[in-house]
Amino acid sequence: MLRKKVCLVGYGSTEYSRKSDRPLLSYYAEAMQNAMAQTGLTKKEIHGFSMVTQASPDYSPYVAEQLGLELDWVLNGDCGGAGAVCAIRRAADAIEAGYLDVAFIVAGNAFDKNVAHQRVLEYQRANYVDVYGYGGPNTLFALVQRRHMEEYGTTLEQIGKIAVSQRFNAGPNPQALLRTPMTIEDYLNSRLISDPIRLFDCVMPCSGGECVVVASEERAKQITDKPIYLVTDAEKIGFQASNMLPDKTVTGMSVVGEHLFSEMSRDNIDLLAIYDDYPIAVMMQLEDLGYCAKGQGGPFVDDHDLTFAGDFPVNTGGGEISVGQAGLAGGMLHVVEALRQLRGEAGDRQVSAAQTALVTGIGWLSYARNLNTTAALILERRS
Amino acid sequence: MAGKSLPAVNSIDREFWEGAAKGELRLQKCRACGKMQFFPRIACTDCLGGDLEWVPVSGKGKVHTFSLCRVPRNRAFMDEVPIYVAEVELEEGVRMVTRIVGDDRDQVTLGAPVTVTFMETEDPDIKLPVFELVA
Repeated sequence: MLRKKVCLVGYGSTEYSRKSDRPLLSYYAEAMQNAMAQTGLTKKEIHGFSMVTQASPDYSPYVAEQLGLELDWVLNGDCGGAGAVCAIRRAADAIEAGYLDVAFIVAGNAFDKNVAHQRVLEYQRANYVDVYGYGGPNTLFALVQRRHMEEYGTTLEQIGKIAVSQRFNAGPNPQALLRTPMTIEDYLNSRLISDPIRLFDCVMPCSGGECVVVASEERAKQITDKPIYLVTDAEKIGFQASNMLPDKTVTGMSVVGEHLFSEMSRDNIDLLAIYDDYPIAVMMQLEDLGYCAKGQGGPFVDDHDLTFAGDFPVNTGGGEISVGQAGLAGGMLHVVEALRQLRGEAGDRQVSAAQTALVTGIGWLSYARNLNTTAALILERRS
Repeated sequence: MAGKSLPAVNSIDREFWEGAAKGELRLQKCRACGKMQFFPRIACTDCLGGDLEWVPVSGKGKVHTFSLCRVPRNRAFMDEVPIYVAEVELEEGVRMVTRIVGDDRDQVTLGAPVTVTFMETEDPDIKLPVFELVA
């Protein structure tokens, strides 16, 4: 479905750190303060608030009280790495229904040991995976990547090109924690973590926060001269959930892509912000989104320049694998990068004449499958 | 220091672990539609029916995929690395996350036939279903 009158009107980022002991709430607050400074909005004009999290008990309404927010709409954002995209979708629904005009959506991560965090109970992961001594998402994605390599002949060089291109993109991005140039040899020589996943496949956890501001078109025009329109969006949760012999190399993004590209041609997208907890995840999403046939992600990557200056720009700020993954702000980072590009604020990594962007989010590695949550949206600058 | 991870046995999956302790691999089967499923759940993933029975299965299958885990999330497992984490497709048409064990585990390939065996844990009442390559 096409969205009618929903815009993204601003964003706020914090610095990223591997060592900070700042509390999580300070990252939320700073990201929101930066978004307020950019949009000129005051606290009283924030009528909707969502925090994307998978930790309890810091639910959105409690955090709203901490921040002194009086709200008409609140959402505790779930869906893991797809949470940012999903929260924007929920806010857009409320805006289209007329219940909401301006929402701030935040996500972040911190290493503050004084704040209690309890992961939501993951019975199937605890009782049926962790007991074998697995390496978390690194092993779960290794199980996927090996299938992809063996079924389709995908090479480490093809997968590594994604990591190398994104590191190049991170070079001009002051927010990125990893900006040193990387070669394919660096990638291939990085140590194995959970074969065939190696160190430079993995995101680096860090602290930091991101905020995006969603508004009705009417308010958007008052707030900014650069409103970015939400064109269309979709999600698929629990893809293959009842299939005991699921195809590990096909994700719910295949369904999401069908919805999105029934509204706008995939060839009209100027840049892609593809959730990149691992390069193989980027490759599989490109396949599932229909940019090439299933299994042809390797040759597709060979044939295209994925840098911000290339013919097929992907993760133009370096993505999570170069910027760092600040918890579920990892999903929001992709939205913010797309906004920077479409607003012409991407500095030395600006994609020329960028008018449309595709943003994806993926999350929650399901048992013996791949992604339990997949979501995406298309953004457009309209002049 | 915390030990190696163990399952928190509960009312949903107690029969699975009781079977494993006796050397029997059991799956849930829906009495309404006949669907077999794993991991154990509160209801059938095909029809949402709640009348599930436990059935013993062959323990025979083939390797669908595997990874050599060198950095386990729970560092108590570090003395066992690399750990051959695998997904095994059982003859009964379900896949399990498990481990490949045995002196020849480094010979594992996709599609390799395997058979179940049960591994002792730090809890004498808990045995883990793991798989060996069929010679």
